Amino acid sequence: MLFNSLPFFIFLPLVVLIYYLLPFRVRWIFLLAAGYIFYGFLQPQFLVLLLLSTCVDFYFALKISESKNKSYKKAYLALSLCFNIGLLFVFKYLSLFLKDIDPMMANIYRAEHPIKGMVMNAIYFSIPVGISFYTFQSLSYTFDVYYGRQKAETSLPRYAAFVAYFPPLVAGPIERFHHLSTQIFANHKPLYKNFANGFRLMLLGFFLKMCIADNAGNYTDLVFNKPEDYASSSVLLGMVMFGIQIYADFSGYSLIAQGASIWLGIQLVDNFRTPYLSSSVTQFWKRWHISLTTWFKDYLYIPMGGNKVGVPRWVINILIVFLVSGFWHGANYTFIAWGAIHGLAYLAEHFTKPILNLSESKFKILRLIGGIKTFVIVTIAWVFFRANNFEHAKHIFKSVLKPLGTQTLEVTNFVWLVMSVFVVFDVMLYNKRIDSFLESKPWGIRWLVYAILLGCILMFAGTVKHPFVYFQF
Amino acid sequence: MGDIKIAIRILVLAAIAIGFNALFTKFIWPEELAKEGPELQKLLRLSNSCDVLYFGESSNISYDPVKDSITTSISGLIAEQLPNKKLGDITHQAYHAGIYLPLIKRIPPNGKVKTVIVTLNLRTLDQACIHSGLETALQKQALYYANQPPVWIHLRAALNDYDNVSEHERDHKMWKQWTDDKLEVNGIEFPYPTIKTWCEAVKFPLPDGSEDMPKRTLADHYVKAYAFVIDEDNPRVKDLDEIVRVCGYKYINVVFNLLAENTDYADSLAGKSLAQLIRYNRDYLVKRYTAKGVIVVDNLEVVQGKDYTDQNWTTEHYNYTGRKAIANNVAQKLLMNN
Repeated sequence: MLFNSLPFFIFLPLVVLIYYLLPFRVRWIFLLAAGYIFYGFLQPQFLVLLLLSTCVDFYFALKISESKNKSYKKAYLALSLCFNIGLLFVFKYLSLFLKDIDPMMANIYRAEHPIKGMVMNAIYFSIPVGISFYTFQSLSYTFDVYYGRQKAETSLPRYAAFVAYFPPLVAGPIERFHHLSTQIFANHKPLYKNFANGFRLMLLGFFLKMCIADNAGNYTDLVFNKPEDYASSSVLLGMVMFGIQIYADFSGYSLIAQGASIWLGIQLVDNFRTPYLSSSVTQFWKRWHISLTTWFKDYLYIPMGGNKVGVPRWVINILIVFLVSGFWHGANYTFIAWGAIHGLAYLAEHFTKPILNLSESKFKILRLIGGIKTFVIVTIAWVFFRANNFEHAKHIFKSVLKPLGTQTLEVTNFVWLVMSVFVVFDVMLYNKRIDSFLESKPWGIRWLVYAILLGCILMFAGTVKHPFVYFQF
Repeated sequence: MGDIKIAIRILVLAAIAIGFNALFTKFIWPEELAKEGPELQKLLRLSNSCDVLYFGESSNISYDPVKDSITTSISGLIAEQLPNKKLGDITHQAYHAGIYLPLIKRIPPNGKVKTVIVTLNLRTLDQACIHSGLETALQKQALYYANQPPVWIHLRAALNDYDNVSEHERDHKMWKQWTDDKLEVNGIEFPYPTIKTWCEAVKFPLPDGSEDMPKRTLADHYVKAYAFVIDEDNPRVKDLDEIVRVCGYKYINVVFNLLAENTDYADSLAGKSLAQLIRYNRDYLVKRYTAKGVIVVDNLEVVQGKDYTDQNWTTEHYNYTGRKAIANNVAQKLLMNN
């Protein structure tokens, strides 16, 4: 089920209502069922993968915990890793290596060889939604059990309730077992404060998705589909629009997930903290997709030695983390390029820090320059993220430097208006969350904010279908 | 106490939403409607001035203005023969009963319109059309024709609350039906049980051993376009039923203008049973809707093969002679029933 769909507006209140009516001992079972219904609404054919991933990780974690022998533990961890990575490989990355096959082949196969056709179809056209998120969430648990940070769960259904908890199921935030499961099994009371805070988070989330991301997406599509038609200023504007689209899209999704979860009394981790107001790339990565960054830090960077190694090894570690992070996003070399740009910028900032430390300067103007520099780097990197291939990315950059077209991107007045509201909100919420920010404000300001956000959603939401960008990952 | 607090806040939010609906309707809606639901304003305008409304698609107009001596549309030619009636037309490419329906629902019940002529294109009932890639855009337009508060329609569009499945999914359903649906009709012997097997079997060998591929492609298209059996589960039949029902309570007469199809060509390309099936489907529709009190004008075989503009495709695009023949039939039926 998509958050930005009418069924979700029926599903969520219904789930919340039934949840609080049920005795607390069985609530988690209800949440488990709700998670499967939520996922099944989107892609029922891939529910089996979710179940399989749950069962396999549950089993290996249990085996790790039962084993006294270190090498057995290692073997079980390796098997769990292989299974999850194998799953990602087949359903997400295989298409990268099958580029030569015409996608239409899937149709031909379907007609002539139904089973072969079905497999081709799955590989080519429908990546199981959220597969990268739930496999990583599940893997974090196996790692935690392996490192002794987490006791293995002995009940499969209880473990499944953690994996299938619906708000973060398909696009995060990536939760950890100890943080989420203790809340899933706790007795929550229906508190007015939770409903108010959940509403605030979801209102901002829907505003970001429906007004900002969906409107920006229209311009992004125009420019990225035919950059040769546009003057360089318009191509630049298209690039900036993509940066806005992906941020509003993903952070909007995370806020809706957090808000929906708070209605059930369960707090999810923060995933974004106004990343475009960072004054360095290093800071950007402390504010962008935080749950994934911390995942890579805990389960890849630190096990590789983190910063407790020599400089050459540390450099390699950093680059590995960024490249893997890029590849996590999808089966395309452009994602690796995106990761590489960030990795190199991160390293460049680190090594020039003693000479030029813009982000921690006591002068506002230098921090501002640092912010602009960060935004430029991030925007350039987004081109690789959005482009279909390197040729396409090159074409975009060429259209900025040596434009072939003269057309200008005509942004309507109402889009400028909602973009202004977005900028004001982003600055206002620097280092704050909207729920706690509004909680401390007088009612007049609170209702003014509600009215602005609601008004924008009702009147200016984009009507062209743009699926959540991160659903494909 | 908490419940009352929440209820009060929900009411205040609802009041704010109503206020925004008023603002939206005044300042944004007219432009958005013109873009997303292009025929509604015209329909509302014509409803106040016309006695007869013609709902048509591309078949209504001339598709070859160079060869066509006269380019008057079918609706225009009907109007010429009904001097005492004012006839208006809503013509939009690829529209079908499912899109005419929400438009017909918007005709004011006690307005001037006493008759609607609905184009009934046999091909709109086939799998290729039902699962066409154009459907998402058409369904979005249908949403904008709904009689609901504008801000609600806008919100529904933003939440993609219409049939918006991907082209791939539509394609998948179409292929499944072509592969799985059995062609079974009493009295017709089909050479092949499904569309898929039929398409595979139709071949046009040339003397040099190769195959006449353009002819095969066309035959393939004819089979896919016409080899289906209409029954009451067909979504277009449901739409047509609903049109009859809606017009019934609005006291509006319904005329179904069943368009001409190139049956001779279908016969020569894919065999007798295809033409038989086309006639079977025609009979089904005529019988079903005549029984419901609808005037069904059967034009299936009134246009000669040479009067089809597209000789290499199945489209219902006619030259002047073809359009005139259809218009005459419709006008005569209308005059007879007046």
